[in-house]
Amino acid sequence: MCNSDSSLTGKYALITGCNRGIGKSILQHFAEKGVNIIACIRKKNEEFDVFCQKQMELNQISIHIFYADLLEEESVRQFVSDLYKSKLPVHILINNAGVVSKGLLPMTSMQQLKDVFQINFFSQVQITQGVSKIMMRQKCGVIINMASIGGMDAFPAYMSYGCSKAAIIYFTKTMSQELASYHIRVNAVAPSMTDTSMKEEMGELANMEIQRRCAIKGLIPVNDVAKIVLFLASDDSSFINGQIIRVDGGM
Amino acid sequence: MTNKEKYNEAFCNAFEINQDQLNGLKYQGIKLWDSVGHMTLVANLEDAFDIMMETDDIIDFSSYEKGMEILSTKYDVQF
Ligand SMILES: NC(=O)c1ccc[n+]([C@@H]2O[C@H](COP(=O)([O-])OP(=O)(O)OC[C@H]3O[C@@H](n4cnc5c(N)ncnc54)[C@H](OP(=O)(O)O)[C@@H]3O)[C@@H](O)[C@H]2O)c1
Repeated sequence: MCNSDSSLTGKYALITGCNRGIGKSILQHFAEKGVNIIACIRKKNEEFDVFCQKQMELNQISIHIFYADLLEEESVRQFVSDLYKSKLPVHILINNAGVVSKGLLPMTSMQQLKDVFQINFFSQVQITQGVSKIMMRQKCGVIINMASIGGMDAFPAYMSYGCSKAAIIYFTKTMSQELASYHIRVNAVAPSMTDTSMKEEMGELANMEIQRRCAIKGLIPVNDVAKIVLFLASDDSSFINGQIIRVDGGM
Repeated sequence: MTNKEKYNEAFCNAFEINQDQLNGLKYQGIKLWDSVGHMTLVANLEDAFDIMMETDDIIDFSSYEKGMEILSTKYDVQF
């Protein structure tokens, strides 16, 4: 059963793509609050194993690691099936893993478009389908999707990425309506340029354009994004549902 | 409890009906077996048989009889 107070301690949070970047910061913030972690990462990673071991000892929590390649539907199906078999509860789901993809329209192949949708959208839907069934039985849960300002604001050459994030935004809004009767809240966070390796993949031009549009200049620290996620996962935000929270310095 | 009894109980609990109403029962054939009721039924069955149903099977699950066919052929639940 879910705690009814505002404490997150003792809950279980499933986080995808938490071996680096924003996801890793979210993991750390949850761990410090005594939240048990279900980490879903692409492949075995010894550095991550050591990091998890340290978090477990420091914070007296459990961390369960699963592997899934979000580009492969079968791999995600297997992960959901293994999760069911583990009988772990899931109180919080953070659909964080994602890839950036760029290219002007004539240079965007259908395969590229399908791949970015497979990772940034279809797999998130597939995971949510499985996890929401666990939450429906628990009669409580919180789902937080990692969207992007790129899903709302237009940037040349970001059609495929932006469309996949726009899809996750619509998904967030629809699910917030569909799952509310089971006491499951669904929200999304939409960061602007955040200080992870993704900024390098986006390139200098995109960085400059984003900075030009931002009122507060500079890269967003991963901690700022993680803290919003923490707030949305807690009972302090119990009436926030179906929202897309921009972390963008004022664009 | 036999598998048939567990199966029947999942239906009766989900739709607040009696055993004698089960034969021939179809999706959307009664008020409570709507899409929301369908999710409750699936959750009851998954709990009862310790399985996770695939989305395609949830969609195909169109009647009391069809459900038994799906569970026995795909999830090794013998009736
Ligand atoms: N950084 C930004 O400026 C920014 C802005 C807005 C939104 N976002 C969103 O925030 C989320 C996290 O991004 P980030 O900045 O932390 O990026 P990141 O540092 O590049 O990390 C991406 C994470 O996603 C995982 N991932 C990617 N493809 C995967 C696949 N096929 N299967 C399984 N895992 C996969 C990566 O795993 P591997 O280590 O195995 O590659 C990694 O853990 C993404 O959804 C991103 O779109 C980021």
